[in-house]
Amino acid sequence: MTMLSVRGVKKRYGGLTAVDNVSLDINEGELVGLIGPNGSGKTTLLNILSGLAIPDEGEILLDGKPCQGLTPEKLAHRGVMRMFQLTRVFRRMNVVDNLLVAGRALGLGPDEALSRAHSLISELRLDAVRELDAGQLSGGQMKLLEFGVCFMVPPRIALLDEPFAAVHPTMKEIMGAFIRSRHEKGQTFLLVSHDMPVVVELCPRSVCMNAGSVIIDAATRDVLNDARVIEAYLGGQAA
Amino acid sequence: MSAINVDLAVNGLITGLFYALMAIGLSLIFGILRIVNFAHGEFYMVGAYAYTLIALAFGVPVWIALPLAFLFGALVGWITERTLMRPLYQGYTSWGLMRDEYAVIVTFGLSLFLINLVDKIIGPYAYRGPPLVETSRITLGPIMISGHRLVAAGICIAVIIGTAALIKYSFWGKQIRAVSQNRLGASLAGINTAKASAIVFMLSGGLAAFAGALLSPVINASPDVGVFPAVKSYIIVVLGGLGSVPGSIIASLALGVIESFGAVYLSYQYRDAFGLILLMLFLLFRPQGLFGEKGREV
Amino acid sequence: MVSTSPNAAGASSPAPAMKPSSAQLTTTKTTVEFRAALIAMAFIAAIPLFVSNAYWLGVLIVSMYFAILAGGWNLLAGYTGQFSLAPAAFAMIGAYTTGLLATYFAVPPLLGIPAAIVVAGVIGLALGRAVMRLNGPYLALTTLSFAEIMRLVISNSIDITRGDLGLSVPGMINNRIVWYYFFLGVLVALLVGFYLLLRSKAGLFLQAIRDDEVAARRAGVDVVFWKTAAFALSAASAGFAGALYAHFAELVTPELGLIGQTGLIVSMTVIGGIGTLAGPIIAAFIVYVISEWLRDVGGYQLIVFAALVVIFARFFREGLWGLAKSGYKKFSAKRGTST
Repeated sequence: MTMLSVRGVKKRYGGLTAVDNVSLDINEGELVGLIGPNGSGKTTLLNILSGLAIPDEGEILLDGKPCQGLTPEKLAHRGVMRMFQLTRVFRRMNVVDNLLVAGRALGLGPDEALSRAHSLISELRLDAVRELDAGQLSGGQMKLLEFGVCFMVPPRIALLDEPFAAVHPTMKEIMGAFIRSRHEKGQTFLLVSHDMPVVVELCPRSVCMNAGSVIIDAATRDVLNDARVIEAYLGGQAA
Repeated sequence: MSAINVDLAVNGLITGLFYALMAIGLSLIFGILRIVNFAHGEFYMVGAYAYTLIALAFGVPVWIALPLAFLFGALVGWITERTLMRPLYQGYTSWGLMRDEYAVIVTFGLSLFLINLVDKIIGPYAYRGPPLVETSRITLGPIMISGHRLVAAGICIAVIIGTAALIKYSFWGKQIRAVSQNRLGASLAGINTAKASAIVFMLSGGLAAFAGALLSPVINASPDVGVFPAVKSYIIVVLGGLGSVPGSIIASLALGVIESFGAVYLSYQYRDAFGLILLMLFLLFRPQGLFGEKGREV
Repeated sequence: MVSTSPNAAGASSPAPAMKPSSAQLTTTKTTVEFRAALIAMAFIAAIPLFVSNAYWLGVLIVSMYFAILAGGWNLLAGYTGQFSLAPAAFAMIGAYTTGLLATYFAVPPLLGIPAAIVVAGVIGLALGRAVMRLNGPYLALTTLSFAEIMRLVISNSIDITRGDLGLSVPGMINNRIVWYYFFLGVLVALLVGFYLLLRSKAGLFLQAIRDDEVAARRAGVDVVFWKTAAFALSAASAGFAGALYAHFAELVTPELGLIGQTGLIVSMTVIGGIGTLAGPIIAAFIVYVISEWLRDVGGYQLIVFAALVVIFARFFREGLWGLAKSGYKKFSAKRGTST
């Protein structure tokens, strides 16, 4: 069942075509990797999918309904959740409140939101810092918190933008376990990452972009051995 | 073009020149620190008082009082930067991410402080600054103008050109432009960014003070004399594009002319409102002004 | 207070034996502030038992006017992060709405005041919608222009408003003590209203918008709605205060909308502690009463308070409330009381 369908999406910034006629389909329950060298358009594509940028051409269908150009809030309500590469949390609110924002905004009642927040805090090993303001957390803890925010109400599709970048191995473990366990329960992911071992480990299928276009969309093993991909990375990091 | 229109146009341009002195400084501050200095009007006020009191109370000749007013404004600017602006780029403030709000509150507070300080210490009464030349009426074709205004306009032109040249060609001018474009990069390249900020504030304070001094024979020095010119300069820097010095100059001249014609042909009562309305319209529909870059977050 | 089992990151944790209720965990800070504010209000309610001087009662009433304005502005600026420089303008709009209705249509205050609240709220809504995309200095400048334009319009429409001469407004209550408790009642009602709002999901959303608007949108917060709502609410409460003041002073002038008045409101909020529930309201009393007292003594009050704004902004961001909090913590620590 195709959940997310990207068709012919184009985005230009001045003279630069950041996303050039990209099409791809993601089915329910898939964990798809999105790789490509810096500047290949991955983040722009993610911005478009999460409502932070409006495509110049093309359409995006979520569960069959068009959603390009919708605001991030509306997309969140439709089940598109996006994690940022540079962690974004509500720094002057405590950990629980950070989670409650998402829970309440997406329709949970106060008690249900609170109990979910607590179970997420446990799952993400943030119990010790529960009452601290988010701004007082370490970088890795903030990332885990942002994870929690995105999963207060399990989204239709979770867009993760380089969640493992510059992260302590322990945190990586926790995040990886989290992603794996959710995926086993049917959660759909699009995972942007430079961390090839993780992509190999988690994603059966990968899409590689370069200079705004999709150059290959296949099983991860095949993608990483593809000559074009290796060339795109200029020397490559094929596992 | 009829005589009255020429007169209106020329007078508008001359008023615009004075506005430009204020606006250039404000624009530079925005360029280098990304804030609006809400105490800018008080630099003007300080200059008006300095010039007027130095000339009247100490009997100093106007041609010496004028540069002294500039220096005094520069001093106030430097102190402001040194005591209040460091947190904006040195990070040691609990305002953290709310630097914009810190800047608004702290400069707003500074403005109130200076206005009330002067009101209390010197008194609320207006002081008329001595004109540069005593000739009250000079006729140049269709235009009638006071001697002081004519001379002041000339000095203005010289100062504006000098400042523009300074920014473009001098060593510190280049440092300032580098820091304005990319603070981190500039500091990595070895530029003393704190010093650049200090110089910008000194220049800004000096220019505004200079404007206050030049206009004091007409717009007499009083504690809140700087409020109006400040509002004008906010309008101008937005119209011209926050951070663009050439944009500020052009917008200043334009506003001067618009107000000049507007006062006669549209409404004298609301002559000060034209700029405000323009400001609101620009901020709502084209915040980058005429020449600025499209800024701001997603 | 909630007890948490200490857990090193990485160790597995048992489910907490006692799940805290939403009242405890998410609102501890706000609830403490609310209680402190109520205590202060109780103190203020008791004052007429000891003070009968009409002048000083009047001073306290005007303090309540400012407390309402500071509280409403704090909601917009401190909790939602929108630094509007127009609060005094909305008070002026409220005052003139009820004043003009009374003067030209003989509308009684009990209808005029609600009308003022609605008019101010609607204009606030429109302004809030218009400035949606602006923040920081851009927002400050736009709202500043708006405030000045409003003041100029009222000041210049001499035929209708009598301009700077002021408009006479019929009174509402004859007894100053009754006025005192009426104003105080409104202030407390608004305080309770703000508290309930901040305790609800609205409070979560507004603060999220303040901290990171993009992250708030990502989390599903309807930013457009809540930002405009905050603007409208803040404007409506300012209009309420202005309308009450109009019937109390029985005169309205454009001076109500001067930027200096906004400066006073901002000062009170910053000195009290911006973003706290109690700080701005309590500071309004302290600032205004002391300023009136100093006015007799020498008139340095505005200098002092402006200086305090600058000093607090620079060094004590949390304001008097923050100082009180850390003072209390140090005091408890010294006495050995466990938290």
